[in-house]
Amino acid sequence: MEDWVVFRTWVGDLTQMIADNTVGKTSLSDYSDGLAIVMTETIMAVTVFATIMGTILALLWIERKFFARIMDRRGATMALRSLWVGEGGEHADWYDDLPFGVGKPIRWLNKLLNEKAGNASEYETVHRTKDRGYHGVWWMLPGMIQNVADGMKFMTKEWMVPAKADKFIFEVAPFIIITSTVMIFAFIPLSSNIYSANPELSLLFMMAIFGIAPFGVFFAGWSSNNKFTLLGGIRSAAQLTAYEIPLLVTVLSLAVLSGSLNIIEIAEFQITSGVWNIFLLPLGAALFMITMVAEVERIPFDMPEAEAELVEGWWTEYGGMRWGLMFASEYLRCYAACLLFAIFFLGGWEMPFGDTITGIIPNQDLILGAIGVGLIGLALGLRSEYPVLLAPIPLVFISMIPPTVWLLFKAWFMFAIFVWIRASLHRVRSDQILEFGWRWLLPLSLVNLAIAFWLRLSIWQGGTWPLLIPGLITAIALILVIILGMDEDKSAMEGRIRPYSVYTESKGPASPRSHDR
Amino acid sequence: MKIKAEYAEESARQVVEAAETRWSGTSLHAEVRHHKSGMKRPYVFINCPKNHWRSVAKWLRFEMGADHCSMITGTHWPEGPDEKKWEIVAHLMRMNVINPPERGGWTEQVIRDPAILQNDDVPMEFEISISIPDTRRPSVPSVQEVWMGADWNEKETWDLVGIEFDGHEGMRRVLQPHDTPVGYHPLQREHKIRYHDAEIMYDDMQGFGRKPADDGKVK
Amino acid sequence: MGPQHPMTHGLWTLKVKVDGETVVDTIPDLGYIHRGVEKICEARDFTKITTYCDRLCYASANTWAHSYIYSAEDLLEVEVPARAEHIRVIAIEIQRIASHLMWLGAFCPDIGNLTAFVWCLREREMMMDLLQELGGSRLHYNFPRIGGVKRDLPIGFAMRARNKLNLFLNRVQETEQMLDESTVFLVRTQGVGYAKPEEMVNHGVTGPNVRAGGVNYDVRWAHPYSVYDELDWEVSVERPSIKGADSYDRYRVRVDEMRQSARMCLDALDKMPGGAETHYTEGDPMILTKARERAEEGKTGFHHFEDSRGESMFYLAGGGDQRGKHPYRISIRSPMFLTIPYAAKCMIGHKVADIPAIMGSFDPCIGETDR
Repeated sequence: MEDWVVFRTWVGDLTQMIADNTVGKTSLSDYSDGLAIVMTETIMAVTVFATIMGTILALLWIERKFFARIMDRRGATMALRSLWVGEGGEHADWYDDLPFGVGKPIRWLNKLLNEKAGNASEYETVHRTKDRGYHGVWWMLPGMIQNVADGMKFMTKEWMVPAKADKFIFEVAPFIIITSTVMIFAFIPLSSNIYSANPELSLLFMMAIFGIAPFGVFFAGWSSNNKFTLLGGIRSAAQLTAYEIPLLVTVLSLAVLSGSLNIIEIAEFQITSGVWNIFLLPLGAALFMITMVAEVERIPFDMPEAEAELVEGWWTEYGGMRWGLMFASEYLRCYAACLLFAIFFLGGWEMPFGDTITGIIPNQDLILGAIGVGLIGLALGLRSEYPVLLAPIPLVFISMIPPTVWLLFKAWFMFAIFVWIRASLHRVRSDQILEFGWRWLLPLSLVNLAIAFWLRLSIWQGGTWPLLIPGLITAIALILVIILGMDEDKSAMEGRIRPYSVYTESKGPASPRSHDR
Repeated sequence: MKIKAEYAEESARQVVEAAETRWSGTSLHAEVRHHKSGMKRPYVFINCPKNHWRSVAKWLRFEMGADHCSMITGTHWPEGPDEKKWEIVAHLMRMNVINPPERGGWTEQVIRDPAILQNDDVPMEFEISISIPDTRRPSVPSVQEVWMGADWNEKETWDLVGIEFDGHEGMRRVLQPHDTPVGYHPLQREHKIRYHDAEIMYDDMQGFGRKPADDGKVK
Repeated sequence: MGPQHPMTHGLWTLKVKVDGETVVDTIPDLGYIHRGVEKICEARDFTKITTYCDRLCYASANTWAHSYIYSAEDLLEVEVPARAEHIRVIAIEIQRIASHLMWLGAFCPDIGNLTAFVWCLREREMMMDLLQELGGSRLHYNFPRIGGVKRDLPIGFAMRARNKLNLFLNRVQETEQMLDESTVFLVRTQGVGYAKPEEMVNHGVTGPNVRAGGVNYDVRWAHPYSVYDELDWEVSVERPSIKGADSYDRYRVRVDEMRQSARMCLDALDKMPGGAETHYTEGDPMILTKARERAEEGKTGFHHFEDSRGESMFYLAGGGDQRGKHPYRISIRSPMFLTIPYAAKCMIGHKVADIPAIMGSFDPCIGETDR
């Protein structure tokens, strides 16, 4: 199905109509077109910005919940494991407390998993969570309220400038960071028709703006008159500089592959040519992700704000909303990175397997019938004990989802991967980061550029990609990943890391006499 | 797995014999004592005169193999015998720890079976007591260059007890604040600790209202 | 860096002189939580000092309380029944596991891994549950008494302890795997903070730090006490590189020590005289009656003890006008007091970013350092 949310066209038509019927009927009718354009651009900018800022709450939610599940921490929602394990017949029952019976499908899923993959006594401390006291609160507040409280806290804290700090630069640095971050979103399209600005060379613009924030970081670190922040600022400047170059070369390879420096055309190229870029340039995708993680300063590239040595690093001296804005800018840059990855490599706003699904529904007459079947299934599912009937949502519903939603889902999925990386890995030391960037990523990005050249010049014939090439490239990439991921010399590794200890093996299910020697 | 008791006894006896031979002309006195509980393990007790302390320390380190200085403690005995108004007790240990030898680009672990260790290989505890007669400036030679561990131990002893260490470089306050008054060493007996049956300095339990008679006193 | 700094794991200052990012010189500054325990204890009854010793190193309370109790028993010449010794070993070793888990849970966020923090504390909760059953509270137990322990094993403790220890042995493999197979962790901790055993011992550093250097010295077999000679355990030793033990070796030694401690506990539960499921409520009230008369002038007691961080020792001198009631002098040997200056020396030549990796791997606990 075509992208039916042609938002910009609707807004353009609406504003043109408004302008024609108000200003166009007066003596200033020469300005009606200009007025229409101004109103359109304003509405589009506000829409894009509001969408981003609204959906960033999803990002915060993903970070909290996914992080907590990886860490096996329990908050108001349970850890992943406890969903299907219980202890001696007991299992979690937090979902019974959810209002409106929303917890019923979750309870059904839990019971199913408990029966199929349950474990008698593995999770020792499940029962402790049932003793949580809500202190009289019988309804469950979602944990997201805490982020709102955080935001309010930032707004009410004191704004301090350290006595000997360079006042002007200290106050200008957050401006630079947050404005350049927000400007990035002007160029990120949410769909082929929902964007704020779309110049011919939007890719160049956006990469340039992405690279302004490091200045602000360095200014902040230097102007605080604090040895720790200075270290953080210097590290940040070095790291971001080192990782921008592979980033730009990778992005250049994308432009070469798609034949245009316009972001929307890069996304459209993937849609028209039928293959997502991640299958054509897997190396480029990996490079892009790694350099983006370094650009947004997340763990493992967390050195500039390394908590253990530098106590928040370059933004130590900032308080209140200044810090809140810079913190928001970190998440906004992360969001921008995820959106860009989705646009550049994951096909942008195209529904996965979109061509296949729209191929099954050849004509529109079936739509009404499909909608009817879907509604009946929905009604049956809600009323019975087997919510599984909710499962076969008719395909037409899926294909009617606006493409922006697909883009956002892909971006959120990428963010979940960022969070996964953050939760599992350690901070790499500054000089190791720089060595990695200059000595490994830069040559690899040049290799990627060469691959892009080869693909575009000798394989591309116009139309769609022959399926052999992306298939071959993906297969080679997967094989490389598996080979690199396997332990090379297992026995040496064993010998090195466990030289002289006797493993104490667990003796199986525990009982009073189970430990017999 | 443990050190065999008879080997430990034998090893302690050998140390005492060596000490008596080496320092026979002086007033140094060495004997094998035993812990009074548990496995009643033997240890070497040496009563060392003050002026011989440094050479005894070197002898213990290099010939008897006491490579670890565990603690150097100072005590103030104002009501003790005249020759023991101040006391330094040094606890040393012979651990026989050596750097693991190189083998094939890596090292080879030093694993010792406790049950077969004999004579000089047996880990041994040493307790050396140095008595200082009554004086306003008690002092003892420093063994800073014999064991690095003695460095901070001596700083702590001076800081808290007030016994000086001749030849110690870089003596400073380590546990108390740097600006503690000169001459204030809390573990000396004239600083009385007040508790329960002792004099209570404050009128109230939280110590805000001082008794008038105690005005101006350092607590 | 300090005294308020997330890296220091306690309250102390490290003054670092840097050239760019390379550390040129360090001066540690201790004494911020010097509470004067040695002076206070001169006015406390022998039985009341145990609570102070719990609070010396708050992460590892049981080991310090037992260290004092063994010295007091040496001074007062008290015999301890075998069953009490077994119970003491269980308490000490579970506390050692909890202390090492706390260390690992604090060390990993220093390097950047936030997940290991939560996982280690989750396991520590299990150990604290067990210690709560034994001692009554979660952090400071006042568990050993002169001549025995506070009370016998609770009913069902053996079953719960075995459950939890077996589960812990399973779970520690997961944490270990996450750290060992992560290149980033290896790259951060290998090659930093080299320390050779001879130098360490000369400085006064003992315990897991020296065992990471490749020598299997352990106070539990060298100067044996309690029932360690009857239990089935091995000393955890690493095989370091030629330059010495680095942070990775120190980490590995402690993980293996946790396993050995769990093994010791399970073994002690099996070998408990009288059985681990029985519960005796009668103690022996006569143990302390004559003991106090033995703490005269001239009598001293000391005991070297293997604490989670090294070799700790209490030295008690009897005498004074409160002989029999209060010790005349109590002197506490803290392993960390000498390890922190040594670790500060190890950092010279490395980068600022290595300071937490090195300092954390030596396992500082400032409560015992400052006493």
